[in-house]
Amino acid sequence: MALWTLFGLSSGKATTTWPAGDDADGQDGLLGMPRYNPQACDEGCRICAEVCPTHAIEAHDDKLSVDYGRCVICQLCTEACPTGAMTPSNDWAFGVRDREDLVWASGGAPTAAPGGTGKRAFFRSLHVRHVDAGSCNGCESELQALNNPFYNLHRLGIFFTPSPRFADLLLVTGPVTRPMFEPLLAAYQAMPEPRWVMAVGTCAVSGGIPGGNYACATGLEGILPVDLYLPGCPPNPAAIIDALLIFLDRAPQRVSGGRVRD
Amino acid sequence: MTSGMLILSFVLWVAAALIASLRRWAVLGRALLAAGALSGVIAAIVGLPNPTSTAVLPLRLAGEAVAFRLEPEALWLFGFGLAPALFACALGSPSHYGRSGWSFGAAFSLLGALGVFGLQNGAALLVAWEAMSLGGAIMILSERLDSARGSTVLFMLALLEVGAVGLILAVAILGLGTSSLDFASFVGAAAALRSTTQIGVGLLVLVGFGAKLGLLPFYEWFPGAYGSGSGASGAILSGVVLNAAFFGMSRGLFEWLPPSPEGAFPLLAIIVVVVGTVSAILTILYAFQEDDWRRLLSFSSAENASIAVAALGAAMLFRSYGLRELAGLAWTVSLLHLAGHALAKGSLFLTADGLQRATGSYAITASGAGKYWLFGIGALLGAMSLSAMPPTAGFVSEWFVFQTVFQGFHLPNLAGRLVLALAGAGLALTAAIAFATFVKVFGIGVLGRDVNRNAPISRFYSGAVGFLGLAVLLLGVGMPVWLTALDVATARHFGAAVARQMYVGPLLVPLTAKFAFISPSLLIIVMPLLALVPVTLILVSGRYRVRRSPVWYGGLSPDPAGAATTALAFSNAMRTFYSFVYRPTAVTEREADAQGYFVRKLAFEHDVAPIFGPLLFQPAVRSINAIAGKLRLLQSGHLNFYLGLIGLLLVLVLGLTLA
Amino acid sequence: MIGTRIRSVTAETLATEARALRDTGGRMQFAYAWSPNGDDIEVRYVAALPERKDFETWLLRAGNEVPSLAHIWPLLGWYEREMMDLSGIRFAGHPEPHPLVLREGAPSRGNGQDFLKHPPVDGGHHLPIIDAKDIQRLPFGPIRADVVESAEFTFFYVGEHILHYQPRLFFKHRGMETCFNGRLPSDAVVVAERVSGVGTVGHALAFCEAVERAARCDVPVRARALRVLLAELERLYNHLHYLGHLCSTTTLKVGEAQGKLLEERAKQLNARLTGSRFLRSMLAPGGLRRDLAPDKWLGEALEALRKEVIAYVDRLEASESYLDRLITTGPLPKRVAFDQGATGPVERASGLDRDLRRDHPYALYDELPVTVTTLEEGDAYARERVRIAEIEAAFDLCQRVLFRLEPGPIRTDCVAPPLSEGLGWSEGPRGSLFYAVHIGGDGTLARVKIKSPSFSNWRAFPLTVHDSNMMDYAINEASFGLTIAGCDR
Repeated sequence: MALWTLFGLSSGKATTTWPAGDDADGQDGLLGMPRYNPQACDEGCRICAEVCPTHAIEAHDDKLSVDYGRCVICQLCTEACPTGAMTPSNDWAFGVRDREDLVWASGGAPTAAPGGTGKRAFFRSLHVRHVDAGSCNGCESELQALNNPFYNLHRLGIFFTPSPRFADLLLVTGPVTRPMFEPLLAAYQAMPEPRWVMAVGTCAVSGGIPGGNYACATGLEGILPVDLYLPGCPPNPAAIIDALLIFLDRAPQRVSGGRVRD
Repeated sequence: MTSGMLILSFVLWVAAALIASLRRWAVLGRALLAAGALSGVIAAIVGLPNPTSTAVLPLRLAGEAVAFRLEPEALWLFGFGLAPALFACALGSPSHYGRSGWSFGAAFSLLGALGVFGLQNGAALLVAWEAMSLGGAIMILSERLDSARGSTVLFMLALLEVGAVGLILAVAILGLGTSSLDFASFVGAAAALRSTTQIGVGLLVLVGFGAKLGLLPFYEWFPGAYGSGSGASGAILSGVVLNAAFFGMSRGLFEWLPPSPEGAFPLLAIIVVVVGTVSAILTILYAFQEDDWRRLLSFSSAENASIAVAALGAAMLFRSYGLRELAGLAWTVSLLHLAGHALAKGSLFLTADGLQRATGSYAITASGAGKYWLFGIGALLGAMSLSAMPPTAGFVSEWFVFQTVFQGFHLPNLAGRLVLALAGAGLALTAAIAFATFVKVFGIGVLGRDVNRNAPISRFYSGAVGFLGLAVLLLGVGMPVWLTALDVATARHFGAAVARQMYVGPLLVPLTAKFAFISPSLLIIVMPLLALVPVTLILVSGRYRVRRSPVWYGGLSPDPAGAATTALAFSNAMRTFYSFVYRPTAVTEREADAQGYFVRKLAFEHDVAPIFGPLLFQPAVRSINAIAGKLRLLQSGHLNFYLGLIGLLLVLVLGLTLA
Repeated sequence: MIGTRIRSVTAETLATEARALRDTGGRMQFAYAWSPNGDDIEVRYVAALPERKDFETWLLRAGNEVPSLAHIWPLLGWYEREMMDLSGIRFAGHPEPHPLVLREGAPSRGNGQDFLKHPPVDGGHHLPIIDAKDIQRLPFGPIRADVVESAEFTFFYVGEHILHYQPRLFFKHRGMETCFNGRLPSDAVVVAERVSGVGTVGHALAFCEAVERAARCDVPVRARALRVLLAELERLYNHLHYLGHLCSTTTLKVGEAQGKLLEERAKQLNARLTGSRFLRSMLAPGGLRRDLAPDKWLGEALEALRKEVIAYVDRLEASESYLDRLITTGPLPKRVAFDQGATGPVERASGLDRDLRRDHPYALYDELPVTVTTLEEGDAYARERVRIAEIEAAFDLCQRVLFRLEPGPIRTDCVAPPLSEGLGWSEGPRGSLFYAVHIGGDGTLARVKIKSPSFSNWRAFPLTVHDSNMMDYAINEASFGLTIAGCDR
């Protein structure tokens, strides 16, 4: 006869106190978006743009623009780069409010991240309805991890609800496949106002690898109004927590103009 | 005046029967039936609270004159039973066939019922009784709504004949003593019998009238027979015919038989209470599992009749201990119960007919009839009354039944108190199941979305159902007024005008306000006032912008009718819980490829098993068949055998005459 | 060697060949269609013969119609429907010729899916004729209550009793197979990693093996050993997630929490080892993209995790209420599992002894002892026990790999010549995974067929739900441990 309650109580707390406390965020050694250092680029070298599977890196007359909203963190560019202009990094906290903040275009200066818009009432209590619009299940795995004892999303006052009727935030993963288009819109319609939308994962932000083919749209652009973008393939649970806190104005946005502010 | 209206009813119904036998002018026939019913109702309204004057009919049966008189309780039950019959005859059967046959049957039933209510002669009573049964059979057979109607009607008649045999025996035993079949002499004749014989006669009366009322085991013909007919037939059978049967039983058990002597164990009363309670429980359990309007309502009629019988038994029990006022209370309660039941059941049977004309079937499925507001309100009030919801008449009578049974502590002996306590528990169970049953009927059958409805609900049906429903409400709300109609009746039977003690101003009380009280008359004023609160809130909140979005199913919008609760789904939990009673069967058949992987079609059949059919009737039928098989020897076809038999008979006759 | 022998068949001999395969104890694996030159269509059937380590492929040049083999090999029913949708072939005599992968009117190729101008309209779901007026119908989905994948399930039920159950998948069809077309094999491995997010290594490994077989290149020993390590680490976190999820459906709350915590520890271990919680960006045709340095820390970390997992599993085995909900729930008979092509722990729990690691070794599995546990009952408890045995075997294999790891090269050149083809496979956490790769004339990928284990198991699952009850449904579904992304691709 197993005494689970006793076991649970005697196991102590497995929850990290991050981000409020000093505990680790649990992402030791995790690689994030490649960091771009344009000074190290060779003249006219376009190797990274050619290998990028989602065309996140584009060349415009001798300058490169990196759209982190399309990055699937495959590290092909960092391996192909001969000079070290593209280097692997641990930058995974890429939640942003405006889509343009994910695009690194030379000449653009980092702008001050704007503040939030009237979500004071939801500061400590947010209900999220997740819709899988055709993801690969990686994002779902990380979202399901949010309620494990390590991350324990409930301590931050954020809950997943079973029905869009109770939801404040619609969290969408996947590039929006053709059959999921109608149900996704129905979920949005079923939410009472005020309501917001968050795109989690590169597929939802920009379509990812399958975006734009016969079966998929290119993420939520043009389908729903998005209030927060979080690229990543998949974004780890700490990144998702960070993005949710950015959404609630409980954490500062770290990325603007494609640059990570340290 | 009363007698005149009654004679008018008689004449109109006879005329309707004649016209029906000519197989023409069906509408005229129905109009005559309805007019006769109307005059009957007027007679009741005018005549109460006094009985009619005795009239001697111009015919002699078995050498005796036949008297005709309607007692006040007879007028009460007759009038209330005729109200639904009025509408049923006016609207007629929805079947396209046998219109004249139906009118003929209806006329027969109504005439028979009139006779059962009023004739004061045993032989005449039996004739009227048989005419009533036959009329019902003719109605159902003419309608041709079900191809199996022959066997169901035959089953009905068979069980009714068992009852008739009981009645014949009872009448014969009572008439033997005084050599007269007039009811006036039955009282003295019964008093002269031994107590065991009295109990035996009481049981014969119970069986005789119980076969029609639906006491166990006789309720098993109800679903088949009602289910082969229409709602109009059901309204007549459950209204005036049921009331007539109850009146006969009440007269038999209360007037013909004396109360048990002082100190004797009131066996008959206890048997009546127990039979009534158990029948009520069984019939409402089966009612809940039905998915056909007529069958469900038929079981519910049996249940309500059983409750009235249980109240009657309680009255007998109180009377045998000299508690005359409590006996009067219980007896009046049974009359109130059947009055409300007739109106409510009539409204629901006509609802079923109205829905059948619109959807084409009597199945309890979504029909979206709720938007016809008069129809819906009438059906709602009928359903509320049958599930004992305030402020309807059903609530009043059910409440009174419980208050009567709760006062069993006045009884001096343990057996009586125990029986009444257990009866109270049983009646509480039936009330709960009845509530679930009528939620199912109304919720699915009337309120469901209009998937199956091809045609609108006819105005006439809306009017009839609405009228009867509102009548039920009026009966409940105005009960202090209507109770005065039973003053004379209760005075005659119990020595005191008990009916007058059942209300104090607008309050209804079980003889004393200190015990308990309710007041539908006040409720009907208070409830709308209370409703002002939510109405105000709705009006005030109108300033918020409303955005309507479709029902959330998971992203797609399936046909909502497919996902709706079905009749079976609603009753399924009870079916599993009470499976020791129901012994349900469920059979799934799949049509697939050879290995069973690619399923093309799925068929599902479900059923509940009756109790007395396999337990009682089928063994009886088998044994009769066995005996008949043995007796077939008589049909040997051998001349010598017949000659031998004749010889034997001759010897017997010689022996008898010489001895 | 390309991993399979190829034989030509004709439409006339097809049925005979199929029956012969069944009679000799072989097993059909999957079928697909492709168009070598844009006009003709080739249908390929891949089968496994007993006692052979490679596979056999039948090649059929399809005319207008191909006879359906669904009555001989019921598992081919879905493959034929997929081919009807995506390649337009007609299969004569198919018992369920309804669209499977695409919805009515959806295109199977092309670009520019502008949903806003032409919003797709959802057609109905093809269901059997239900001849019963009182059955309730529950259409559940595609957006379900919880953080789960999207699929629609239709239940026909009365109270607790489920009369018929039909899942409708392919809401998540992303057309991943077409995403390979036109890419270089060495770069396209990142596409294979993202077909099923939690099956990254399995898919990438099968894809790489297919390309390597087409290129006929030999992968260095160290790379093969590390591939085994990565595959077993993936099996580990997937099975731990499975146990946590199973506890969640049986409402064993602390068990669920502990299971999910152990999965999190495994994923953090993955991140520390490879930089990705899902072990991504490691595999490439020819070996690994970069070397790993597990040194001593991985062995100790795995041992610590193993102790926790053993304690957890022992506690689960002692929880009677939990076991009570698993025993006799959702039994999958052996014959049904065989006919429907069930694979992985699901088939091994129903008595079919098959594991690609042992029967058709790849990576370094031919030099390592592979313990395959098979049970007979086929119920949810058996499926759980098979996975628990696989967890223990995974720990064992990881330690063995770490023990015999030698320094060495981790990648060779691997260029598949134009117009070559290769078959790759791996035993993922959910079962057998196949990749059939065809290289085009310019050296880029022309056609990639992905046979995922969930595609096979989703066919078998409904057959365990008919005539079961609603309370057991969630537990039964969790005990199968299926993904929808892997099935829908």
